[in-house]
Amino acid sequence: MAAYVPFSWEMARDCGFVSTRGEYIRILRDLCMLRAEEVLAQVAARPEQELIQMVHMRDQLDEVINHLSEKALEWHAARSPGFSRKYRALRGSRVAIVLGGSGNVHIRNVGAGIEHLAAIRRDLNRDIEKAARALLPNCTALVGGIVAARLLSEAGGLVPLSRLPAGTIQVLGARTALFFHLTSGTPPPKHGIIYQHRRVHRASRERRGRVARVLAAKLAIAARIDLYRGAPDEKFLALAQAAVERAGGLHDMD
Amino acid sequence: MIWIEGVLVSRGEGGVYGERMLSGHRVWDPYRSKLSAYYYRGGERDLLPGSKVLYLGAAHGTTVSHVSDYVEVVYAVENAYTPMRDLLAVAARRKNIIPLFADATDPACYAPLVEQVDLLFQDVAHPDQARIARRHVPFLARGGTALVVIKARSVDARKDPADVVAGACGELEGSGLRVDRVLWLEPYHRDHAVLECLRDDTPPQGSAQKGR
Repeated sequence: MAAYVPFSWEMARDCGFVSTRGEYIRILRDLCMLRAEEVLAQVAARPEQELIQMVHMRDQLDEVINHLSEKALEWHAARSPGFSRKYRALRGSRVAIVLGGSGNVHIRNVGAGIEHLAAIRRDLNRDIEKAARALLPNCTALVGGIVAARLLSEAGGLVPLSRLPAGTIQVLGARTALFFHLTSGTPPPKHGIIYQHRRVHRASRERRGRVARVLAAKLAIAARIDLYRGAPDEKFLALAQAAVERAGGLHDMD
Repeated sequence: MIWIEGVLVSRGEGGVYGERMLSGHRVWDPYRSKLSAYYYRGGERDLLPGSKVLYLGAAHGTTVSHVSDYVEVVYAVENAYTPMRDLLAVAARRKNIIPLFADATDPACYAPLVEQVDLLFQDVAHPDQARIARRHVPFLARGGTALVVIKARSVDARKDPADVVAGACGELEGSGLRVDRVLWLEPYHRDHAVLECLRDDTPPQGSAQKGR
């Protein structure tokens, strides 16, 4: 753009398009506002927008539930010296049972609140799965609704996701690690969001990179089928599942 | 710039983002705005009445609203969805803000809509801030100023901020911008510097390169 000479309002005047600078600015501003509003409306109308917000809300609920459980149990422990969380996993509904049996009304109330939030989270989860299955049937079949929705959110929509190469999908969500790798030569990240899928994080350490790579390759294809066909492709899914199994399997070690 | 007892203010309709008012003027908080911090730190490139500003990285329009109080027209470029909604709400009530929903790394997208400006203000979180500034040199009128905010942490989080700024100054050499002064925004913003650049119309091969 080095030799570019910008437009000036005098040009518009000399063409007879406007007569004053005020008029020029007014028309230009109206045009730019209209353009921006149009793009905003288009983005808001995308069906994935709602799914992305649902996943954000789920994450937020997780955080709040964990935080409240932590603090309420701390309070409970302070009241009952015999209570220790060692050797007993206190997850989900168990927390509510412990808190519900407390002698303090406030702790009991917080316990009821946590239970209520957990129910909301459960319902939300179900709807996320449903929405993801409708929007990304193939991706959801491969990695589940939550991970598929997160990939969608990180890519910024279904169209951008379907245009990503598999290598990018593999490290989507590992931005910091990737830039560290590029600028300072640390080992490259093996996986980003797809690590949250059990087939990646349950794979043995030395297999994880391979599973992530194969899974990402299949997701790249799945995203394209999702965009252009919008229906699950059983044949593709069977082959893809088998390929991912093979990558994570213990046989054919080389 | 308008100062009331050491507080930077601007003259305009209040209540844009819950800013404080001081004898009918809008207080311009240096902790929220890098441009305000620049003036608090002794920046002398004032916003003049009747001038034109190109603002890259307009975000939610908080700083833009103050700029619009001072100048004739401000072209506000922002490319993220959520901030753009707020920017549009601000622009709807201020007739001299021209919102551009576009990517500042690619000025060709909005070049026909922007005229030559007296001040280029760039505040973008991008690893290659110097290149974005270079690309906008044609939009700067003769004698114009470019204020380029360098967020050292978003260029390279592991390098010393001073090295990052020195690197950015080096990249601007020969671009038509001459870095006149570097102002650090401590204590208002950490690891942020403003490069005060002038449009330099001497041919790059000449020995007119001045030291910083």
